Amino acid sequence: MDGSMSAPPPEPVTYLCGDCGADNTLKPGDVIQCRECGYRILYKKRTRRTFGWNSSSSST
Amino acid sequence: MVGRTESSGGSVAIGGSAMASTPKFGSFYGGRKEEELDCSSLYDLTKPHTESFDYFVERGLEEAVRRLQPIELKHPISGTSLRLWVEKPNVSPPMKDLGSQALDQRLLPSECRLAGLTYRGIFTADICMQWNNGVVVRHNISYGKMPVMVKSSVCHLRGLNQKQLVAAKEEATEMGGYFICNGNERIIRLLIMPKRNYVVGVKRTSYKNRGPSYSDKGVMIRCVRPDQSAVTMRMYYMNYGSASLGFSVRRQEFLIPVGIILKALIESNEYEIYEQLMSIQSDSKAMKGALGSQFVSQRAKIILEEVRQLSLFTRHDCLQFLGNRFRPVMGLEDKQQHAAVVGEQVLNDYILVHLDNPLDKFNLLVFMLQKLFALVDGMAAPDNADALQNHEILLPGHLLTIVVKDRIQDWLLRVQGQLLKEMKEKPAENDLQLKHVQKVFEKVPASDVSKKVEYLLNTGNLVSQSGLDLNQVGGFTLVAEKLNFLRYLSHFRSVHRGAFFATLRTTTVRKLLPESWGFMCPVHTPDGSPCGLLNHLTAACQISSDLDARGNKKDPLAIRKSVTKVMVNLGLVPVLPKLSNMAPPEYLTVLLDGCVIGHLATGAIPSIIEHLRRLKVVDGSEVPADMEIAYIPCTSAGSYPGLYLATTPSRFTRTVKQMFGDGSLELIGPLEQAYMEIKCPGGNEPIGPKPTHEEINATAFLSVVASLTPWSDHNQSPRNMYQCQMGKQTMGFPAQALQCRADNKMYRIQTPQMPIAQTNAWNKYHMNQFPTGTNAIVAVLAYTGFDMEDAMILNKSSVERGLHYGQVYKSETIDLTELRQRGDGVTNVFARSGAMARFKEQADKSANFIDIDGLPYVGQTLTEGDPYCSVVNKMTGQSKISKLKGSEAAIVDYVAAINTGSKDPLQKVTIRTRHPRYPQIGDKFSSRHGQKGVCSQLWPDVDMPFSAVTGMRPDIIINPHAFPSRMTIGMLLESMAAKAGALDGKFMNATPFKKSSKEGGDGKDFAKTGGNDGTADLLGQQMNAHGFNYHGTEVMYSGVLGTEFVCEIYLGVVYYQRLRHMVSDKYQVRSMGPVNPVTRQPVKGRKVGGGIRFGEMERDSLLAHGAAYLLHDRLHACSDYHTANVCGFCGSLLATVPLPTTRGSLGSLGLGIQQGGKKICRVCNTSKGIETVAMPFVFRYLAAELAAMNIKLTMTLSQN
Repeated sequence: MDGSMSAPPPEPVTYLCGDCGADNTLKPGDVIQCRECGYRILYKKRTRRTFGWNSSSSST
Repeated sequence: MVGRTESSGGSVAIGGSAMASTPKFGSFYGGRKEEELDCSSLYDLTKPHTESFDYFVERGLEEAVRRLQPIELKHPISGTSLRLWVEKPNVSPPMKDLGSQALDQRLLPSECRLAGLTYRGIFTADICMQWNNGVVVRHNISYGKMPVMVKSSVCHLRGLNQKQLVAAKEEATEMGGYFICNGNERIIRLLIMPKRNYVVGVKRTSYKNRGPSYSDKGVMIRCVRPDQSAVTMRMYYMNYGSASLGFSVRRQEFLIPVGIILKALIESNEYEIYEQLMSIQSDSKAMKGALGSQFVSQRAKIILEEVRQLSLFTRHDCLQFLGNRFRPVMGLEDKQQHAAVVGEQVLNDYILVHLDNPLDKFNLLVFMLQKLFALVDGMAAPDNADALQNHEILLPGHLLTIVVKDRIQDWLLRVQGQLLKEMKEKPAENDLQLKHVQKVFEKVPASDVSKKVEYLLNTGNLVSQSGLDLNQVGGFTLVAEKLNFLRYLSHFRSVHRGAFFATLRTTTVRKLLPESWGFMCPVHTPDGSPCGLLNHLTAACQISSDLDARGNKKDPLAIRKSVTKVMVNLGLVPVLPKLSNMAPPEYLTVLLDGCVIGHLATGAIPSIIEHLRRLKVVDGSEVPADMEIAYIPCTSAGSYPGLYLATTPSRFTRTVKQMFGDGSLELIGPLEQAYMEIKCPGGNEPIGPKPTHEEINATAFLSVVASLTPWSDHNQSPRNMYQCQMGKQTMGFPAQALQCRADNKMYRIQTPQMPIAQTNAWNKYHMNQFPTGTNAIVAVLAYTGFDMEDAMILNKSSVERGLHYGQVYKSETIDLTELRQRGDGVTNVFARSGAMARFKEQADKSANFIDIDGLPYVGQTLTEGDPYCSVVNKMTGQSKISKLKGSEAAIVDYVAAINTGSKDPLQKVTIRTRHPRYPQIGDKFSSRHGQKGVCSQLWPDVDMPFSAVTGMRPDIIINPHAFPSRMTIGMLLESMAAKAGALDGKFMNATPFKKSSKEGGDGKDFAKTGGNDGTADLLGQQMNAHGFNYHGTEVMYSGVLGTEFVCEIYLGVVYYQRLRHMVSDKYQVRSMGPVNPVTRQPVKGRKVGGGIRFGEMERDSLLAHGAAYLLHDRLHACSDYHTANVCGFCGSLLATVPLPTTRGSLGSLGLGIQQGGKKICRVCNTSKGIETVAMPFVFRYLAAELAAMNIKLTMTLSQN
């Protein structure tokens, strides 16, 4: 699933714990659970990518 | 728009007195508000739900289990006997699964909502087993996981303060009262039931169908046991003078002559029964309140004669008779019990089950017969079965109690069946020892009990063999939509009449009866099919519970004892010892909870009642605070007289003030209310007897939603009803815990305000926490023509500044575990598709939207067709990509990854998208006075008319024609009042009936002022004080021409609501698109891009206009236009086929066929007569269908 691209391994995605708010960095296949408190609902962090005006039509 | 005004607490009320409960607005915004809101008024609204669930888990289950039929078995060989019953049921608070490693093991409601779980706790009970009457062995068994009501006594949220509630991701004002099933909030509906343990006289033609000589009259009583299970018993009058008792067992009605039951209940003689029945016979028919005619003695004789003819002489005979007849019905065929024992069990289980003592049953039966006779003779009127005084409510907890009782009984019977089966098949192996019984427990799953409850909550359908004495099998639950707070709150206060009544064609059940005053809101009922069937409780209405005023469990026996004691001291002649037969009109029967406790001399009753009412309000007295004391006096052919006392739960109650004693507040019920003298403030001086009670609040007869309408007393009543509907469809601020919710669809408006003109209820129910609209500057004028027919013009700049700007939140949950087959491992995972990389361009596009984890970037804007989620099948390598549907843009609001248990990778996500909704042409708005309209133009600010004095341009322009026929004077008042309030920086009190009530006005008679209470005059003066016209009008200039308008324009501030009906959800347009493959006509449905039906009436309209070309265009060219080849010789439409142009290998493959090539008729074998004819494709289809039926369709072609 890594794809055929020889780019550096994909950076893991950061999630926020739904209970304690701690950052959780998960790789694909990791169990969805907060490392701090064990809560089982994590929210994806807001992206840091910048979108241009009407980003959907123009590719960034 | 009017911005937030700075005010330092308090407000000017129009009457000059301050508003009753105005919060300190200054502190609200100035600094952080530390003290908690007083939410008790909100808790009271859901109290019937939470309190009854508390009853269910704390007392109801215990009571139900105690009354279950134990299993008794005897082994055929060893002779061991086994007795098996259930004890100590317990529901524990919801906990996380065992595998969870969370620090906090509690399962909180917010987690259930987000993860789509059910909020439920383990339900256990002790199975008690006793062998050969020896020691009792207890075995704890789990009945599965029982859904738990939020904020009930087993909920984690009970007792949390507001800070803790917010920390638990709930509203600070969380009221509870609902269940969470698979993430949805569901409520058990309040249903109307016949009042328990109360004899109702009815006249129904359907009774004649019960059999020959049945009349249309009867009496009915719904008997409810302490565990809330009910048996309805009917007594029918037979035309020959007798009566017959009817009760249902497993939905089948059984009828018995009443004489048999009378004799079977107590050891008595015929003379005694005769005397008892006879006691209501009075010689002088003219006497007021006389009930018995001279026929009563004859009927009594007939009843006794009937029994004698069956040769039943003693009580034992009667019991034996009953036992023999009912043995199969009771399921006791195999048992060796004596018939008389079975007969006693019948009496116990089906006859007047709310009473335990046979003598009480006998007395009540005599009372019922007397009422029946009075009804038949026309001495008493039949009761109205649709009136609220004969009603009570089926509470959620009570429904659950009877359902669980039914299910556990069912389980016990199945255990018994299994044990019997095993004993019969292998008597040697199964000798009823503990290990065998435990094995049987495994075979008959006990968790079915909770599963059935969950099924009930999820679907609203009830599965039961007996029907549980309920009139319906479905529709018990509904989803608590959190569209806005008004809608949410109304779910808890709504009361349905029952699914059966919705099917009735008569409108009698839907009528608003005066009996419902103060209990059911006359304004708040929907229009349309549920009108009058779905009502709402008034804000002040409370439902009685099984707890007393101090929160202790009421003991019916102790109450009966103490009330009887008090009454005996006041002159009650108790039933025992039986001294003489007393009956109306000299003496009235006194019934307490459907039990005859004695008789009272008619003349002494009024003073006794006053004494009782004085005792009732004393805390801790012998008379319970919520006892209903209904005295129906003797009348000529009115309701059957008597003194009916009720202390049962689930009755309607409300508070009124006593006008005697020290003016205490008393709880009254609908039956007693009809016979009480209650003064309403501002009402006329009563003509009749002196009032004994007084209404506390003039608006107490309104529901919460209805009482929020400002000056609703100045509006025409249907307009207030419309507002109750529209208030519930408003886009508002639905929840403060918006980020912790995953509702399928949520509406929100970005800049809500609190109304300047508000009623007392607004603050009482903390509507400021969930506001629903915006104060808008509204001009009433006909401008540009775009405000015709309830259209309204919005100021474009106001909209750009954020007026009514809103959003729609849509959540989608993608659960990959649902795709999983049994036994499979994890095959589907969320991932960016690897295959995509091959098509570089596509992969780039996909990567633009989908993160490495297969989920969208939070905050990303998506447009139509953009991918937002990708699922890859690890086995096949194929990916499934979800794309955004609909043409509007959406922003990814949040992405929640949800653990589905064990050690699996991510399998479940909830993605919430936010759809911005600017107000646009076609969106619906409304004021709070049933004045709805559709935005027709967003008019540029520069072209809006402007005020000569202030230069202000209105936010909204509405047409003056909206007022004359609708007569919503309240809206005119609101406009002026809010204008004055905005100028003063103060909130205005717009509570209805304020001027005629004590606290708000001078208490002047409403009637004397002719309805003009001076509100308008006061507002005019306030206008003057601010330098405006007394009538609220202003000189205005045209924004386009710059000229002054000839007339002055009514300009003010009105609180406007944006309704959830928006064009972007509704518009439907097509030129080409999907067609039905069979008929080739356009499909229907907005979702699939179909067309709108151009029906018969539309066709007629075009015909009448002579617009034939347009008609042809719509019905043919834009529909299933088709050109067919018809053979002119044989007239066949189907026999023509295209001629292959080339023969040979290509032709045999069918590749040689060319469109537009030569056609040939297969019948005539020539292509000479072939013509091309335009026709609808369905015609060709018709020809094909006819051909299939061996009918040839021939077309005759002609050229003209």
